[in-house]
Amino acid sequence: MLEHVADGSGDPTAPPRPTVDELLGRVGRGDRAAFGALYDETSPRLFGLIRRLVVDAAQAEEVTQDVYLEIWQTAARFDAARGNAIAWMFTLAHRRAVDRIRSAQAARDRDLRIGARDLDVPVDTVAEAAETSIEHERVRGALDDLSELQRECVALAYYGGLTQSEIADRLHVPLGTVKTRLRDGMIRLRTALGVTT
Amino acid sequence: MTGHDDELERGRRDAGARSGEPISIEAFHGLAAAYALDALDVDERAEFERALAASPELRDEVDAYADSAAHLAEQAEPVAPPPSLRARLMAELDSTPQVAPDAARAASPEIAAPVPSVAPAEPTPSPTSTAGGSDRTVGRAESAARRRWFQRPGAIIGAAAAAVVLIAGAIIGIGWAGPNGWGAQRDMAAIAEAPDAQSQTLEVEGGGEVTLVSSADQGRSGVVVEGLPDLGADQTYELWYIDDAGADSAGTFDVSGSETWRVLDGSFTPGVAVGITVEPAGGSPQPTTEPIVVIAT
Repeated sequence: MLEHVADGSGDPTAPPRPTVDELLGRVGRGDRAAFGALYDETSPRLFGLIRRLVVDAAQAEEVTQDVYLEIWQTAARFDAARGNAIAWMFTLAHRRAVDRIRSAQAARDRDLRIGARDLDVPVDTVAEAAETSIEHERVRGALDDLSELQRECVALAYYGGLTQSEIADRLHVPLGTVKTRLRDGMIRLRTALGVTT
Repeated sequence: MTGHDDELERGRRDAGARSGEPISIEAFHGLAAAYALDALDVDERAEFERALAASPELRDEVDAYADSAAHLAEQAEPVAPPPSLRARLMAELDSTPQVAPDAARAASPEIAAPVPSVAPAEPTPSPTSTAGGSDRTVGRAESAARRRWFQRPGAIIGAAAAAVVLIAGAIIGIGWAGPNGWGAQRDMAAIAEAPDAQSQTLEVEGGGEVTLVSSADQGRSGVVVEGLPDLGADQTYELWYIDDAGADSAGTFDVSGSETWRVLDGSFTPGVAVGITVEPAGGSPQPTTEPIVVIAT
């Protein structure tokens, strides 16, 4: 009863579930089963991020599909020395989501959406494993280290998908100010999170 | 968005460089956080990524910020995608070529000067050669093109500097879809990664540079253009496959931002020449102006 179940499979005799990094490595060698497992393991997180940026469900699905095909295609490029697999995947997903919402067609919708939206960091209402919650608390705590203005700029960029110039227009502050807030905010976040991978 | 970039400009001034010349690395370090947050516009991003490819220090900084950004991503509420998406994806894998690990390593920024996977077989033509190089590079098709368009325009064959691996890195390495869709991006990557891929770069009179990447095996080619002027709403660039039978339209493209690319419509066969003309918006069934560049293959 007190035995810690590491992988949630409930079967202590089962081999440990491969990590996202291991799965991505296998995907890079053309392993389709690993791709399926990687998708199952990560798609709620990637889709959640993409949905936050690309509100339209059909478009968010398209972006997610593109992201996973890109993962399949370029997995061999992933360099574990540079960071962990999920961070790499988030980077791809965020980039594609941002590019999608910056298309001219979607710009108006986005402006309306951002105007109506609370710009604070999203509150995760899904109960997850304790480890994840701790991780969330840690990040939330790190975000508290940012000044209100830094947090606002970082959130507008990351969750709103705005460019630094767009943020400057929206907040009616000089572009240089936005650049400084983004840079200082990210430095502070990085410091607060410590050297982790 | 305003697109103004006073920091980049300031970097240029700091470096004592004219606009358009390399920006100081300090200015790029100031933009690393914005880059990791995807807060740069298309032009800024392209410029930043060129610096990124050349600077391991900048790469390290971006990696650190990317890690922090991933923590921001984890804050978004997970949402399970519809099950149909998984099925669609798995079905797509067959038609989605993968980057080989070797190519990936060759295209990684750590390698300062990647060795072209396909070395130019012939000596580099003299830049002053009006004929455009050796007999081997002036094929029948290009001759035909010149007959058709009176005289070869001032395009000068430069050194075949753009290595295929660099193109592959520029296009797929950064996950940049550019003005094209993901399907086109995949096609372009597939051409650039083809074992028999050939790459030729020519300067365009009046500024700019065009690189043709082609694969005879795949029967396809694509162009990467850099530094060509934006033609505005009334005109467009049009691509042509030119052989003895004449010129066939291979599609149009517009330039917004410093760099663009596209996969040519139609099929590529070795020996054909690829030309670019300026045409009225929408393109023309046959070229109406002299080409700004012709690339013989």
